[in-house]
Amino acid sequence: MDLSEASERISQKFKSQSVEVDAAAIEKKLRILVEQFGVNLAEAEKTVIENIAKEHGLESIPRQNAEQREIGSLLPGEWATIEAKVVGLSKPFSPTISQTGILADATGAIQFTAWARANAPLLQEGQSYRIESAVVDDYRGVPKLNFHAGTTITLLDENVAAIPQMTRVADLRPGVASMRVKMVQEWEARHDRIFQTGLVGDESGTIKFTIWKDDDATALETGTVYNIFYAAVSEFQGRLSITLNEAKCFPDEEGEIEVGTGGATYQGAIITIGPGSGVIKRCPVEGCNRVLSRMNYCPVHEMQSGFRYDLRIKGVLDDGEKAHNILMQREVVEAATGLTLEEAVETVESSPMGLDDVLYRLKDTMMGRYFTCTGNDLGETVLIKGCAPVTFDPDRHAELLNRLGGEADAE
Amino acid sequence: MPSEGRFNQQRYEREPARRVFASELREATYHFKDGEDEKSPAYVLLPTGERCNRVFIIGSMTQKEKRGDQNIFYNIRVADPSGIFFVTASSFQQEAMQQVSRIEPPAFVAIVGKPNVYEAPDGRKFVSVRAESVTVVDKEMRDCWVLDAAESTLNRIENFDQSKDAALTREQYPGVDLGVYRRMAFEALRQIQL
Repeated sequence: MDLSEASERISQKFKSQSVEVDAAAIEKKLRILVEQFGVNLAEAEKTVIENIAKEHGLESIPRQNAEQREIGSLLPGEWATIEAKVVGLSKPFSPTISQTGILADATGAIQFTAWARANAPLLQEGQSYRIESAVVDDYRGVPKLNFHAGTTITLLDENVAAIPQMTRVADLRPGVASMRVKMVQEWEARHDRIFQTGLVGDESGTIKFTIWKDDDATALETGTVYNIFYAAVSEFQGRLSITLNEAKCFPDEEGEIEVGTGGATYQGAIITIGPGSGVIKRCPVEGCNRVLSRMNYCPVHEMQSGFRYDLRIKGVLDDGEKAHNILMQREVVEAATGLTLEEAVETVESSPMGLDDVLYRLKDTMMGRYFTCTGNDLGETVLIKGCAPVTFDPDRHAELLNRLGGEADAE
Repeated sequence: MPSEGRFNQQRYEREPARRVFASELREATYHFKDGEDEKSPAYVLLPTGERCNRVFIIGSMTQKEKRGDQNIFYNIRVADPSGIFFVTASSFQQEAMQQVSRIEPPAFVAIVGKPNVYEAPDGRKFVSVRAESVTVVDKEMRDCWVLDAAESTLNRIENFDQSKDAALTREQYPGVDLGVYRRMAFEALRQIQL
């Protein structure tokens, strides 16, 4: 078992990625694993490599010669080489990142992050580059391109053709998209870093937008139509929103759009109210909001002493032909069940059955009943915005009697 | 915009809960599995030509019977305008069992469950529903269900020839008379008191 040989090997491996790691430090890490924890050397070597790669923002030890790809076909976890045009840049929030922005080619667009450690040259907006050995990863369902120490970037003489394709608001998915929308509402910013936030929409629906504070942030005017190119679309807790810092927003003074309320109507019976429904606890860390386990564990921020209560229903609305997964947020649950968050929390804190008691109450009021819901289909789940009980419809009764009776009598 | 399907893995699509009257479900004695896998969904074949893995029923619970001592289960009878559903809730469906224990018949109940076919020693076949959920509802919801079930039944009858299981239905239920189910749905609608 030769620890120094292994640590030399690891050190060389990272040197080839222009990351200097002290061989003695590696050996110390290996020794702890091997001698104190009885890990075999091969496994220890693997662990140490992965840890160092992570520390330096490398996904893993890069394979060489990633083939050239089109942006539209990139998948998370891949190493890729692309030729693309920089269509948007924004100031990174964190000093560990040197630059973020959006790259596009004829097949699509993707957000990129250049880590400060990678020492990559800063890209210029409007220029096209060949980017070799970048890593595609998946950040909250959005593919992103990461530049690390092993990524090579060369300026191209010729521009890559980037053709933005317009997407209807109702068809937006996490990623990068272009759209023609009207700014309909401005909301009060609830965070220091927000420059402007509100609602934009087209005939198919509306979506929240955010512009973060930035030296060249420009506000949208309420009531004006904009052509927005390359906005980052993200999903958080079942809600889509767009960020406009990297996007180009061109006002169209003459333009007019009839903004639709969006969403479709779903009628059916609630046949499942699943786990994760009822009173839940959310992580108190600002901007996190993730659901905590019963033991107050946040998947990102670990054990939390504080939390924030919330109320929701994750269930299934079934019309006999299709079963839709649905998500109802607090306001919708309160309106549909008459149970407020305050009452639910009181029950949780005073009843011996606690959380289960609230869940049973929701089930008793909602399960096996017909509802007409309006909501937006987010792919796997329909986010319900309105929910009303179905009442007996005598007209439908008469119509069905006619449909059935007319021919039954003829037989 | 990248193509939409790029992150779509093969997703599990939940089976819809079919609306079917008791006197049709009673005749659904042919059952089959779609695939060889242990996890492949099991279906009963409705005489109106549709496969059915789950049902949604609203009716009147008329009887409740507790059986077993170690493994407790309930047999309940639920009436709709056309006949009776036989429904079971056992300790394998804890939630449904506990819900049933709290309900005293007669009561309007909504049931979500899976249909099963049993063969008696004499060869006769019985269809029962293994409940996943049983909740108390009111008469108005029951009436809404009758409309829903009548409409679904009529749609199945009218689209019989387009069903992917039309040939299988003809083979398994030779001489099936769709007119019977049309009259059944009509009678069910007529029983709703306005």
